[in-house]
Amino acid sequence: MPEKQKIEYSQLEVGYEFPPSSYKLDSSMVTTYLKAVEDASALYQDTVLVPPMAIAAHAMASLSESICLPPGTIHVSQEFEFIDAVSINDTLISYARVGRKQSRGKFHFLIVDLNVINQHQKAVLTGKTSFILPEHSEDM
Amino acid sequence: MEMGLGQLTELSEGMNLPEFRKMVTQENINLYAEASRDFNPIHIDEDFAKKTPLGGTIAHGMLILAYVSQMMSAAFGQSWLSGGRLNVRFKTPARPGDSITVTGRISRIKRNEGQTLIRCDVSCQNQNGDSVITGEASVRVEK
Repeated sequence: MPEKQKIEYSQLEVGYEFPPSSYKLDSSMVTTYLKAVEDASALYQDTVLVPPMAIAAHAMASLSESICLPPGTIHVSQEFEFIDAVSINDTLISYARVGRKQSRGKFHFLIVDLNVINQHQKAVLTGKTSFILPEHSEDM
Repeated sequence: MEMGLGQLTELSEGMNLPEFRKMVTQENINLYAEASRDFNPIHIDEDFAKKTPLGGTIAHGMLILAYVSQMMSAAFGQSWLSGGRLNVRFKTPARPGDSITVTGRISRIKRNEGQTLIRCDVSCQNQNGDSVITGEASVRVEK
C-alpha cells in the first residue's frame, strides 16, 4: 500500500477532516484478525460476519496512516458504537475528524472522531479516540 | 435471539458475565500488527522497545480491547455487532507474557418496549492485579 502523506500534530485544528480511507475486509484479513485475538467463537465460523473490533482496528489504522504523532504519545481512551453488522467483502469508508485539541500544562490532548460507513452509505461504526501527547508536540 | 448468557428475562443487575483469561504473546501482537496495519515498533521491535522507557514491547491497546468485545459477543451474540457500545480507558500497557483476565458485570438493565438496554462494567487485569482496561460496555437487545 502506498505511503500516505501524514499531517503533523501542530498542523491540526479542531474540525480538520482527515482524507477518507476506503478498504475491503476480505476473508484472509478477518482470519488473521481472529487468529491474533484468538477468537474461535461460532459467531464468525462458517459465517460472513466481521468482528466489530476488526472494523475498528482498520478505522484506527487509517487514522494512524494519516497523522504523525510524536514518540511517547499515549492512546488513553476509546469509545466505539457498533451500529450495523459488516460482512466479509463489504467495502467500508473511514472518516476521521479532529474533535478536540487542547493543551494543559506540558501535555497536549487530542480527540479524534471516527465514522465508518459501508458501500450502501449506511453507518456501521462510530468512535472517539483520545490521545495524550508529550511535551514539545506543538513544535513538531 | 441467541445469547451465550441464556434468556434475556433471566438477566439481572449484578450478574457477572462469563470471565476468561488470555495470554499475551509476541506472536499474537505481531499477528495483530498485520491484521490492523499498525506496525509501530513499540509493539513489534524488541530492540527498539528495549531502548524506550517502557523497556520492552507492549501489546496494542486495541488488541486487549478486542478481548472485551469478545466477551460481549460471547454473552450477547449478534446483538453486540449491531447494538454494542464501548467506552474504556487504557490504564497500563499489557506485555508479552502477561495473563489478562477479562471480566464484566451487568450494572443496569433498562427494559423498553421492543428492546432492552444492558449496561456492563468491564475490565481487564493483568496477573499482578493491575488494571489494563476499565470502562463500560452496553448492548441493545431486541426482545
